[in-house]
Amino acid sequence: MMGYYLKLAARSLARNPGLTSLMVLAIALGIAVCVVTLTVHHGMSSNPIWWKNDRLYAVTVDAWDPERPANEKRPALPPPDLTWRDAEAITRSDTPQRAVRMFKGYGVLSAGDPASKARPEQVLARVTTADFFDMFEVPFRFGNGWKSAADTGPEPVIVLSEEMNEHFFGGADSVGKTIRWDDREYRVIGVLEHWHPAPKFYDVNNGAFDDPEEIYIPFGWTDKLELRSAGNTNCWKPEDIQSFADFLRSECVWLQVWVELPDAAARERMQSYLDNYVAGERRNGRFQRPNNNRLTKVDQWLADNDVVGNDSPMLVALAFAFFTVCLINTVGLLLAKFLGSAALTGVRRALGASRKQIFLQHLTEAGLLASLGAALGVVLAGAGLWGLRIMYASPREGLTGLMHVNAWSLVITVALAIGASLAAGLYPAWRVGRLAPAVYLKSQ
Amino acid sequence: MISHDIRPILSALLRNRTGAVLVALQVAIALAVLVNAVYVVKQRVDKIGRPTGVDVENIFVAISAGFATDYNHAATTRADLAWLRRLPGVRAATLSSNIPLSGGGSATTLFQTPEVKGEGTFMNYFDVDESGVDALGVRLVAGRNFRADEILPEDPTGSKPVPNIIVTKPLAKALFGTEDAVGKVTYDALGHPVSVIGVIEHMQGSWVDSDKLDHVGLLPRRAVGPNATYLVRAVPGQRDAILKLAEEHLSTSDLRRVLRIVRPLDYYRDRSYQADRNIAIFLVTVTALLGCVTALGIFALATFNVNVRTRQIGTRRAVGARKADIVRYFMVENWLVTTAGVVLGAALALGVGYALSRAYELPRLDLYYLIGGVLVLWAIGQVAAWQPSKRAAKVSPSVATRTV
Repeated sequence: MMGYYLKLAARSLARNPGLTSLMVLAIALGIAVCVVTLTVHHGMSSNPIWWKNDRLYAVTVDAWDPERPANEKRPALPPPDLTWRDAEAITRSDTPQRAVRMFKGYGVLSAGDPASKARPEQVLARVTTADFFDMFEVPFRFGNGWKSAADTGPEPVIVLSEEMNEHFFGGADSVGKTIRWDDREYRVIGVLEHWHPAPKFYDVNNGAFDDPEEIYIPFGWTDKLELRSAGNTNCWKPEDIQSFADFLRSECVWLQVWVELPDAAARERMQSYLDNYVAGERRNGRFQRPNNNRLTKVDQWLADNDVVGNDSPMLVALAFAFFTVCLINTVGLLLAKFLGSAALTGVRRALGASRKQIFLQHLTEAGLLASLGAALGVVLAGAGLWGLRIMYASPREGLTGLMHVNAWSLVITVALAIGASLAAGLYPAWRVGRLAPAVYLKSQ
Repeated sequence: MISHDIRPILSALLRNRTGAVLVALQVAIALAVLVNAVYVVKQRVDKIGRPTGVDVENIFVAISAGFATDYNHAATTRADLAWLRRLPGVRAATLSSNIPLSGGGSATTLFQTPEVKGEGTFMNYFDVDESGVDALGVRLVAGRNFRADEILPEDPTGSKPVPNIIVTKPLAKALFGTEDAVGKVTYDALGHPVSVIGVIEHMQGSWVDSDKLDHVGLLPRRAVGPNATYLVRAVPGQRDAILKLAEEHLSTSDLRRVLRIVRPLDYYRDRSYQADRNIAIFLVTVTALLGCVTALGIFALATFNVNVRTRQIGTRRAVGARKADIVRYFMVENWLVTTAGVVLGAALALGVGYALSRAYELPRLDLYYLIGGVLVLWAIGQVAAWQPSKRAAKVSPSVATRTV
């Protein structure tokens, strides 16, 4: 029976190819626009470490200017970064299973072997404590990260990104070899796999979709080498800063702090540790703003920092409006088509076809149309995403990386589209089954 | 005459309303989207097109990074600048602490009194040398430029006094309430006095999304090493050639540093506006497609109406209706449907516009956009219905006498 319906449907569609192609095109456009928009939206709002969302917390406290909030647009939020001394005090707690304090540094990386022909490269460096790699589940190709002893030493060890290992060592296992950063020698102890979390959740300053840093250096080098941040350094207090030691003592915020808390009890202990610490500092005359000590989960962190593009909700609304119009259009076109061939249906009914059979037959026709539309829609969506990739063409791999269509999400979208088109076919198919055959047979 | 025409059309429409309702709904959504999309696009295009005050098209940026322990920042930058300034076709070159319009920059707060109390005034600043004004291509409208002997040495602590600055007119106004600021004194965050020696007409600073984008000050100070950012302004038409020369020279002239980036300044401006530009392109594309889909819907309904009424048309022709009457019948019918959609759509458009103005802090939707949108949809409707109406007029009166 199904085969017969399909044959009838194909014949009916072939009867007026103009109208048929219009319908297919309308469905295809609706699908394509939705796939493109939702892909971008999904990419921009996704949490790259969702499986640890209830374990990882960004720590922030509000030691900012008593006169005004750190972020005028979002006065409820503390500054996203911390001062040197607060970061140190907070990570001293033994409650977290893991804790990092860190910042984005910079410097020039050059070959350790004088015979090497590799060009020196200016790189961004994540200057961080040892837990970074395990906490954020950073994948290693060779070797591994350092132990926390290396932070306090500090030891001259370095972890390279895949790209830098490629540049300086041709992609070979470079563990144990030396490399120079700002003209000092470091021993390579690990090389990462390709790792591009998008957004770069652990530090969303200066471009949440930027590539991760190219090298990793133990945090202990910060005060030894007087390393400066290549990210944001924000100061509110007029302070006479004459030396690096003055800077470390200042109220300038520039460090990120994250902790891993295995359960709710640990979270509570950490919160009270924070509250106690801030209360103590308050007695020393600091923290003159309302208490605002936060442990923020990754998804909330991304929302707080406006990582989801401001325009993203607008795009999603637009995609839905577009899809709605396409569906209404499909309903209208199917209705026109089915009623247009009502005389034929009348003959079928008169010859004994039941209402249910007429209904199923027309629904099959709608399904066939939807499938054709979906197929064309996938092609159009591919073209649209390709166009987007050109629009966003830039060194920011993060953002273009998002544009790769995930096969699974494509399947879901297409299934939804066919379902929606079938739903759009329900009313016209029902309507045409209700026609009294006699009316259409009269003039025959 | 018109009402005489409309009554039968209306009653025919009401008897068979599903198709008409569907098309009216499409028109309504299309109008709401069209009006608001065009409005948002207009805002973004205006934002991108604001005058920068800087000679963006003729400037390029070169960034060098010293790394060797024997790297001498002062000597290398002096040599680089001397080389750049000698090149024919270079108008001016300066060391700068930051790249204008790039999204990265420095800011501080200035105060009315040395006690640094009260609100303070935001200033986005750039450390430049005596060639800064010329290298940026900004226009000095009052006072004077920095002299070479006023350029302060680099100051990694950032807390030594800077006695002289040049400010933009908007910053002057924010500081003193008047653009005539030459000779006036303000105080830095540590209470050091700072006198304004020059005022520039206009200059956009670091952050294109900031509402204080043009609150910019130039400080006579050598930017801190070991990174050196040069802004080089070429005479028109020569930028790309000079950029290439500079790239070759700077990457080999001193191996104690690496040349990181040599790029035209418009690269940074375009990157800063990338999101705005992309959303504009996206909105225009989707809105155009939506217009097409809506036209399709209208066209299909009109075609369908003509098809099912062949006999009726024939009868009308047989009893004396002219071809023009038939065309008018279908055009008016279509116009009625579109108008119903437009009325609903106007309400929808205003609602969406209100929501957008709340979410994006835009001014409320301008009514001209709504009027324009209504006209566009009326036009789309009439164009889409034209071909089916003409086809209807071709139905021969003899159809009425024939059985199908």
